[in-house]
Amino acid sequence: MKLVHKVKVKNALGLHTRPAAAIVKLLQLRKSSVQFTYKDETINARSIMSILMLAAKRNSLITVTVEGEDAELTMSNIVRAFDEEFGEK
Amino acid sequence: MYLVQDFVAQHGKSLGLELVAGQGGLFRRIKKPEVHRPGLSLTGYLQGYVSSRILVIGRQEIEYLRELDFSLQRQRLEAIFTPATPAVIIARGCRIPKELYGFCDRMKLPLFRAGSNATNLLSRITFLLLEEFCPSVTLHGTLVEVFGVGLLIQGESSVGKSEAALGLIERGHRLISDDVVRVKKKEGSYLVGAGPELTRHLMEIRGIGIINVAHLYGAVCVRPDKGLDIVVKLEEWDEQHFYDRVGLDEKFIDVLGVSVPYHVLPVKPGRDVVLLLETIALNHRLKDMGYNSAKEFNLKLLDALARRQKKRVVREART
Repeated sequence: MKLVHKVKVKNALGLHTRPAAAIVKLLQLRKSSVQFTYKDETINARSIMSILMLAAKRNSLITVTVEGEDAELTMSNIVRAFDEEFGEK
Repeated sequence: MYLVQDFVAQHGKSLGLELVAGQGGLFRRIKKPEVHRPGLSLTGYLQGYVSSRILVIGRQEIEYLRELDFSLQRQRLEAIFTPATPAVIIARGCRIPKELYGFCDRMKLPLFRAGSNATNLLSRITFLLLEEFCPSVTLHGTLVEVFGVGLLIQGESSVGKSEAALGLIERGHRLISDDVVRVKKKEGSYLVGAGPELTRHLMEIRGIGIINVAHLYGAVCVRPDKGLDIVVKLEEWDEQHFYDRVGLDEKFIDVLGVSVPYHVLPVKPGRDVVLLLETIALNHRLKDMGYNSAKEFNLKLLDALARRQKKRVVREART
């Protein structure tokens, strides 16, 4: 199953190292392949360096593409992590 | 989208560009990697005139404009300075006619002055724009230079790409980029890979974290970019899969329409991946020099078989 959803970076500092690590950590438990698209750049969300390369600041919109057997759960986890500002609220 | 302000930010200094009018037009888009010197177009001949090119105006054009009367000058300029024109550059630091300032400000068309001559500007800007507009793709993998060969290590997350690259660096090879590689096709024929500016020469190693290779191992162990010569895919050893045992058939992978030699390297505990990658790179160099170990051996074998066959025929004829 393939899901596409747009999420907003809500935390003040943007997608810096800690949020990137949080995303990679939550994906470790999931099987689906996850890609982030931002400013014409599509990257593998399992790689910290790739997420950091995006340098997505606060309020930027990221298109998340999830494909695989646990796509729904993976997507909801990612959306929640972005909504909760990666625990930086 | 490539805007005039991006171009100026990147190359303005090296080209010696100085913005003199039309600041409001810096957000104009550059759509074509082309520069035009509007000699003929200034005379009013506009057949086949492409308006979306950057214009470089040299001394001759300026002299010609000066000779025209005011209304004609305006008419000619209006014809070639269109809403699609990204920018106008006056070469050789020429004195710019006053009318041109007001005209560019009203049209919000960036007007620059540069010190070098028109021919020089044309060639340099064309080169820079071609570089910017060449097709590119972002690949997931680690690009290293091994014995002068650009080797892209690909594979699933956690198969050991970064660890293999670190091993190679430790042996004196060079890192170009870890995890994300931007590959460009240059001059329509060859590929060059580079790392994104922000994460250049950084690596993420599980259990250690983010390290800066340039600082840890020194400047000799990194490079900003490198041609992409081979793609190696690391994968978990699969007992069911038949891996290449002789190397007679060469596999290729398509990257931006260029076929690149492709190897699948199975990984399992006890296999020295670093050594194997070095061997792949060396073997590639040998092939480049015209020697293919597998083919050469096969020819020798076929020759030996043929000789044996002949001996047997001669022996049988005698008896």
